Amino acid sequence: MSATEETVKDIIVKIVHCDREVLTPTATFQDMKADSLDMVQVLVALEDEFGIEIPDEDAQKFKNFGDFIAYVEAKVAEKGNA
Amino acid sequence: MLKGKVALVTGGSRGIGRAIALKLAEQGADVIINFFRRRQAAEQTAKDVESLGVAAKVIKANVGDPEKIDEMFDIIGSSFGRLDIFINNAASGLPRSALDLDAKGWDWTMDINAKAFLLCTQRAVKLMEGRGGKIVTISSLGSYLVLPGYVAIGISKAALEALTRYLAIELAAKGICVNAVAASLVTTEAGMLYTRVAQEQLGEAFPWQTTPAGRLVAPEDIANVVAFLCSEEAFMIRGQIILVDGGTSLVPFSLMSKGG
Repeated sequence: MSATEETVKDIIVKIVHCDREVLTPTATFQDMKADSLDMVQVLVALEDEFGIEIPDEDAQKFKNFGDFIAYVEAKVAEKGNA
Repeated sequence: MLKGKVALVTGGSRGIGRAIALKLAEQGADVIINFFRRRQAAEQTAKDVESLGVAAKVIKANVGDPEKIDEMFDIIGSSFGRLDIFINNAASGLPRSALDLDAKGWDWTMDINAKAFLLCTQRAVKLMEGRGGKIVTISSLGSYLVLPGYVAIGISKAALEALTRYLAIELAAKGICVNAVAASLVTTEAGMLYTRVAQEQLGEAFPWQTTPAGRLVAPEDIANVVAFLCSEEAFMIRGQIILVDGGTSLVPFSLMSKGG
């Protein structure tokens, strides 16, 4: 598990107050019982943490936690290479 | 009419903010478009502003975060060195009843809709100092009407309107005009989303399907009044909440669907 994934999980658990075990690759945002405000706050916290940007146009495409992690890792890697 | 002026529109990527950005640009102002979540939409609005022959700049900032407000105004200060028009349009909210509204939802809505108006104005005034300026904020009928699922936004708009009056007086001597434009339901993405939520809560069609004027309020209807308030013709209008609602607020809800 990457350090990025660990940090994403820390942030989600802190904001959504869900169990860490819920955050499997196939977990949906419904499984996390996250409402729309939780989701925006998670995205904003990740943007601040990693210095990346996750616009709504992209966020609307995530089907599950696995997709989401892959996206964040790609963004973080892209930033590292910039 | 606004040639050479520099305007900031928060939440300028879409909906009412986009219409205001385009209207101010049409009148000759350079426009800074602040956005929070929709970069593509903000860049499209910037392109459309530029096609009107003025400059546009896109700045991402969550106005609910005081640090991000400071960063945004630092960029405006270094890029333009001044500001003539500040449009406080960005808004957010949660469709909750009062008993379901928790501290997090209250803070989120109040921070973006009300506190940001104060903090942005404090920074905007520094960039207007010595030359005067225009400040217009966007409110809604929910500041005093009780609308389904609207408590969080309603109270934030009530705070915003009170602040409009206080700022209008405090800034009057600096030649800065502060006013608000309040609307009923506007045909934007957010407006239509709210209608769906309201219908779910009511269990029946939301009564605001039209207005006594024969149609719902469009973003351009708001933008036209905002542009007027930014003109010298509106110089003596201070601290007012101008209603743009096609007469909606004059008619009881129960009669609305019967055409007044």
